[in-house]
Amino acid sequence: MQARHILTAVMLLLCARPAAAQVQQVVTFQVDAINQIAFSGNPSLVITSATAGSAPSTATAPATWAVTTNQSNAKITASINAAMPALVTLTVNLAAPTGATSTGAQSLGTVAVDVVTGITQVAQGSLAVIYALSATATAGVVASTTRTVTYTITGGT
Amino acid sequence: MLVASAERVPAQTLSVSGSPGLLRISNAVAGSEPISVSNSSTTYTITTPNPNRLYNLTARLNAPMPPGITLSGTFAAPPGATSLGAIALDATARNVVTNIPRRIDATLGISYELSALVTAGVVPNGSRTITLTIVQAP
Repeated sequence: MQARHILTAVMLLLCARPAAAQVQQVVTFQVDAINQIAFSGNPSLVITSATAGSAPSTATAPATWAVTTNQSNAKITASINAAMPALVTLTVNLAAPTGATSTGAQSLGTVAVDVVTGITQVAQGSLAVIYALSATATAGVVASTTRTVTYTITGGT
Repeated sequence: MLVASAERVPAQTLSVSGSPGLLRISNAVAGSEPISVSNSSTTYTITTPNPNRLYNLTARLNAPMPPGITLSGTFAAPPGATSLGAIALDATARNVVTNIPRRIDATLGISYELSALVTAGVVPNGSRTITLTIVQAP
């Protein structure tokens, strides 16, 4: 009787197999600071008319921009590569992505100015950009010229 | 004598070729979420015993991923089994390959993909242990 019990136990051990087999892997990961902006369009602005008795009419042109940042409180600044001709003003007005603030129409010069502030962890495209060119009558006739606008995203933490 | 002649039923076995390298997200297209990254450098080797049973392969993490971060795993299936494709991994064991038949002895690919939302923010280097388990299919 005792021998039968031992035999049964041995057979159970031999036939037993684990209910499950396991192995492990280790995955390491990280996410870096990401700040990307893009602008589309090369707007052309031409002032061609005026209402008699008033300054020449302002010309406007649209464009769009997009932003992705995983940081907080970033901002966009804008500047141009050379000063505008005397009495001619180029302004830009960027729509703000969700949760951020546009500073409205800003005159562009060689010193960078804030155009959107408080940009926090957002991925958004098709945001409006409006360029406006204005001139006083005393600016005279200004031949076709170009300026490069540089946008920079900075300051995120 | 009877004990000596009894045939031992081989157990199912599972092994991996190692751990994948660092999954690091560092870029995005402006206006879109960060670009996901993947790693397909590792494999798993599975053997199943003779008895006429089906098995599943499950995967789970030792802890949830940080908010806004997703780690997905895709495990190729041996002949006759079914891969469930990219499965988001978390601390619950989830089937990744099902209906693995008997008498399988195969080495198959593993692909991990890391994706992040901008709301996840900057995530310092971290790790998770993934446990793969062969279980009998219900």
